[in-house]
Order: sequence, then structure tokens, then C-alpha cells
Amino acid sequence: MALKVLSPMPGRVANLSEVPDPMFAEAMLGPGIAIDPPRNPVVVVAPISGTLASLFPHAMGIETEGYSILVHLGLETVGLNGKGFTLLKAKGDTVTAGEPVIQWNPAEIEAGGLPVITPLIAIQAEADAISLLVAEGTVVEAGTAVYEVA
Amino acid sequence: MGKAEDIIEALGGAGNIEEIKACATRLRTVVSDPSKVNEKALKKAGAFGVLSAGAVLQVIVGGEADGLAMDINDIIG
Repeated sequence: MALKVLSPMPGRVANLSEVPDPMFAEAMLGPGIAIDPPRNPVVVVAPISGTLASLFPHAMGIETEGYSILVHLGLETVGLNGKGFTLLKAKGDTVTAGEPVIQWNPAEIEAGGLPVITPLIAIQAEADAISLLVAEGTVVEAGTAVYEVA
Repeated sequence: MGKAEDIIEALGGAGNIEEIKACATRLRTVVSDPSKVNEKALKKAGAFGVLSAGAVLQVIVGGEADGLAMDINDIIG
């Protein structure tokens, strides 16, 4: 059974190679896409239903039977120690796909000198296990299904 | 041995680790002697990948980075 992965926020669907961090760009964690968000406050929603196995101000990992999806808001954002991010859920919470989890303002983070492009990764999935459901370059809404993991 | 111990060993032992901390998906560590780091052993210990720039290494471990960094810091003191 394939799992549909939703875009956690509005933005442009980009190839991971656009992410200026080799861990993501070379898909070391797994395949996926990136979302380039609008530069205004946005609510980040759960890309799948499951458990918030990891939750940081700048990142969330959601797990459900056999799947683990990571949303990493911007790059090097761990160094902000949560500044500019608001958590709406707690680690360990069960969430439904589309449910709000984090709020942030990419404009503010970008003004601080950090990239805001956001990888959406199927952790440790095989490269050929994911199929894009929208073309790269498409601007999507939060909650649009962007790829499927086999 | 546990995963934390395996990673310490692959990084050249506790004495070679100057600093180790976690972000969401990776361990960021500074080692005294990069030549003592065994990348193959890191991957065998469960790392998905290793990025290195001199004495600064990033060990890509996924969502358990936080817990692993805590375990490693507990062990190396």
C-alpha cells in the first residue's frame, strides 16, 4: 500500500538538488522533494498521519507503520534554538495528515541569513520507492499530495 | 555493544571526540584526529552517511540523533 505525502505548507515544489546541504541534496537520509515557501508567516501541517516521533522547533519526523517522513524547516536552523518557530504540538503526539504542527515566518529566517527551502524526506526509503504526484516547479497549497511512497 | 558505543569506537574512541551534539537528523562532532575516524564502521553502526570537513564531521543517523548524542555524551562524560 502506498503512502501519500502532503506538502506541509504552501510553496514551490523543488528538486532536492536545489537544497544547499549535501545530506539532503545527495539524499543521504532518503529521497524526497523540497518546498520553497512563501516569505510570510506560514503554518506547517503534518505531511502524513502518524506519531510525532521527533519534534524540534525547526523540524518534525512523523512515523507510521513502516514509514518515516521528515520535514526540515530551512537549513542550519537548529542554531536558532527555536527563535522564530512556534510549536503547536508536542513530541509523541498523534497527528492527522494536514493538522497544524509548527508556525514560522520564512521571511524572518531568511532575513537572518539562513536558507528557508524545506526538505520533505522519506527517511531511508529506496530512491525508486517514491513517485512524484506534481511536477517540480508547481506551486502547491499546504495539504496537496506531492509524492507517494511505495 | 550498543549503537552509541559503536559510534564512539568508529569515531576513534572517547579520547578522540572533542565535542558531539545533535541536530534533528545528524550528529555533529569535532574530533582531535580525523585519521582515526572509520567511516565504514560508522555506516556499519547505522549511519546513513558521513560528511566530513577536516576535524568536523557530520554523521547522518536520522531521527534518533538526539537520543544517540545524549547516550554518547553520557558515556564519554
